Amino acid sequence: MGATASHLGKDLLSEYQELTFLTKQEILLAHKRFTELLSREDKNLPDPRAPTEAILTLPELKSNPFRERIVRVFSTSESRDGLTFEDFLDLLSAFSDSATLEIKSHYAFRIFDFDDDGTLDESDLEKLVNCLTGETDDTRLTPDEMKQLIRNILEESDIDKDGTVNLSEFQHVISRSPDFVSSFKIVL
Amino acid sequence: MNSHLQRQGSATAVQGTGYTSDQGSPRLRRVTSSRSDQNVPQFNWLPASAAQEDAGQEAAVPPKDLRALPMPMALKRAISQVQQMQVPVLSSFQSWKRSKAKSLSRARKSIGGFLHYITLWRRSLNKIGGNFGDGVQSYFLFLRFLVVLNFLSSMLITGFVLIPSIVFRSVASDSMNVTDNGAAGECRQYDHKPDPLVRYFSYFLDLLSGTGFMEYTYLFYGYYHNTMVAESDFSYNIPLAYLFTAVFYFAFCLICITARTGTAVRVAVATGGGATGSYSRIVFTGWDFGCLGDRATKLKQKNLHYQLQVDLEEERIKNEAASLTLRQKVLLYSSRIFLSLVAFGLIIAAFFGIYQATIFSQSKVKETGVLGLFYEYLPSIVITVGNFVVPVLCDQIAMLERYNPSITVIVALLRSVFLRMVSLGVLLFTLWSQITCFEGAPEECALCHYNHKSYPCWETRVGQEMYKLTLFDLLITLAMLVLVEFPRRMVVDNSSNKLVQFLGRQEFLVPVNVLGLVYGQTVVWTGALFCPLLPLLNTLKFVIVFYAKKITLFSNCRPAAKTFRSTKSKVFFLLVLLFGWSLALVALIYSIAKIHPSMSCGPFRSLSSMWTIVPDSFYSLSLTTQGFLYFIGSQGFSIPLFLFFSVVMCYFIALASVYGKSVDLLKAQLKLEARDKQFLVKQIEELSRTLGVAR
Repeated sequence: MGATASHLGKDLLSEYQELTFLTKQEILLAHKRFTELLSREDKNLPDPRAPTEAILTLPELKSNPFRERIVRVFSTSESRDGLTFEDFLDLLSAFSDSATLEIKSHYAFRIFDFDDDGTLDESDLEKLVNCLTGETDDTRLTPDEMKQLIRNILEESDIDKDGTVNLSEFQHVISRSPDFVSSFKIVL
Repeated sequence: MNSHLQRQGSATAVQGTGYTSDQGSPRLRRVTSSRSDQNVPQFNWLPASAAQEDAGQEAAVPPKDLRALPMPMALKRAISQVQQMQVPVLSSFQSWKRSKAKSLSRARKSIGGFLHYITLWRRSLNKIGGNFGDGVQSYFLFLRFLVVLNFLSSMLITGFVLIPSIVFRSVASDSMNVTDNGAAGECRQYDHKPDPLVRYFSYFLDLLSGTGFMEYTYLFYGYYHNTMVAESDFSYNIPLAYLFTAVFYFAFCLICITARTGTAVRVAVATGGGATGSYSRIVFTGWDFGCLGDRATKLKQKNLHYQLQVDLEEERIKNEAASLTLRQKVLLYSSRIFLSLVAFGLIIAAFFGIYQATIFSQSKVKETGVLGLFYEYLPSIVITVGNFVVPVLCDQIAMLERYNPSITVIVALLRSVFLRMVSLGVLLFTLWSQITCFEGAPEECALCHYNHKSYPCWETRVGQEMYKLTLFDLLITLAMLVLVEFPRRMVVDNSSNKLVQFLGRQEFLVPVNVLGLVYGQTVVWTGALFCPLLPLLNTLKFVIVFYAKKITLFSNCRPAAKTFRSTKSKVFFLLVLLFGWSLALVALIYSIAKIHPSMSCGPFRSLSSMWTIVPDSFYSLSLTTQGFLYFIGSQGFSIPLFLFFSVVMCYFIALASVYGKSVDLLKAQLKLEARDKQFLVKQIEELSRTLGVAR
């Protein structure tokens, strides 16, 4: 089941409208942009998968520090490499204007969980802060500042005091922030 | 360690579990099935049974919104297929309700798609937000809202006032007999024919000031007649239409603004200001995924780095610093009071300057040529200079007062708002005092109840003032663009002087620009009664401002070093707009109810006040309608209505307090559960140690 490279069937289009938060124009635009990423041989496959390198050339993702994590989270292949068109739509749906807070916070949690273990522990938080401030040496925080920051974060958000931030604690922090929904947005 | 979802081709044999948690650590397995693990987005495959447990009846659960499930597409498709196979037992009423809900959501989706297509400037706004951040984008969103509001109101005015006036122009004018009240002949003189022997240059001056050939046109109040068409099955009362359109225009703007404020306030209240938990908030929600390009990304990273460093530094200082001594506190508070008085004094001085300038300008109204134009524009010039100089001084004063950084911004903004709005009020007050001879020679107003010698058609004069203010505002914006911002950019780019590089490129200051928009809109609201085409002109003006500001943003400005919180400020912008609206409302009510309309021009020329058209037309309605309206206005109706609304409000207040209490209770419960879990984990560890079982 998949789309031919040139045209989306009407049933498939309405099914995608049911299952994602995207409008019809957004789905068609996504299809156009996705087929541009495919190589010529892949275009004729029934369910083509665009490789990660091609997806990272999209201007919306190119300079995002979380781009590799985003592709990994939404990829459904065993090696977590490359997105099919449906994965791409799932990505755009979670990042769209009308997506709910719950789905955005769920995917944000998974993107920030660098070791994929279901919680944000200290190493995850450290990698997250490094992504936020920049990877070069002059933009990183000093080790002391990092320790102080992680201690403060865990003190504020770890309600059950197990040393890690799990999904509900993360969602609790997110729900108190009014700007999250508008900043967790990627529009083609 | 299962971390990825199990995908098994298509459809049926799919596990309900998704993203499972770490099974290695010694955690209690949750035995209960109804409560799901925190991290697992489980899907209840048998919703009907769960509902029957709860409700004890055969009511079917409506299908879950599949889009909100955080699962890949294949799983969602499988779930929707299973749902479609589960045909629940529904009564005909419920199936009808279900199908209606489905068609309603489909209609809503198609409307959303259509609106998405025609949304004005969507791509430009996305580009601005991606490159300059949320704060700057909120300014442009506010500007777009004002453009749409002005456009819709100008359609309203055109439809109900302008087009009927044009159509009924051919009908005999002054179809109503003017009641002759004594020496009213002199009052009805209005010489609006422009001087035929005139230089070409003065056409341009007339365009800028609304006098001369522009005065007796549809632009201003004086051109409209008080025709009341009454044919066999159709009647149109132009004065009544004019008044009701003005009132409805205000009501329409109020509805739009409160609707928009409501959504913004709901978000702000639900998230409770967010003062606590600032570190986790910055780290978890600080990244803007809409950032486009390497430059914007690096800037955002630098921003976040700066923010985190500053916060950590402040915390360290706070932990080390001792509290202020009593003497220091007294010094600080007394200096704050003194500086507030200084700022207030500056504002009062600006008002006095505007008052004097207006009186001077009105006295020199007979001058022609460029000097005459200068005198005409003198109030606008003084207001603009005041609006420019005094906020800068207030900013400096606010910095000296050493408040919190966020409070400093709000204090400075409030002072600027106060200055701009009330300076407009001072202008209006001076005009009205001149028109109604509030001070000065009262005998000039004895004849016609207004100063008919200097103001044969005073409404047109007021309309001209508002027209001049609007035009001057636009010219100043464009002049600043060309004469200040472009040269600054060129100087910064081409000179290597240390001081110049330190000053750097222009920064796009959002609060100042928003206040400019609010001021312009308030002028339009005040002037709409006297200059009916002003909202249309304002639409064009704001469109020009949009493109001008966009050009200067991308060419001349650098992104801000400090972030600008957009949600709280959205509410603030709309509240300031509402404040401007209420000032304009006061002006409207005063004009309608208190001042005698000109007897020589306009739709209300034969009445003693603009409002009297309503009682006059009221008596021409049928007796049953009159009786019904009398009943609505009487105490027998309004007191029960008031009591009813009080009861409804009490109910909502009680509901809100109950919700707040239950939120607190749930938070406490969550903490207790965590403590229980820790206790049980410790027990397990002790047990396993005493039993010597290795885990």
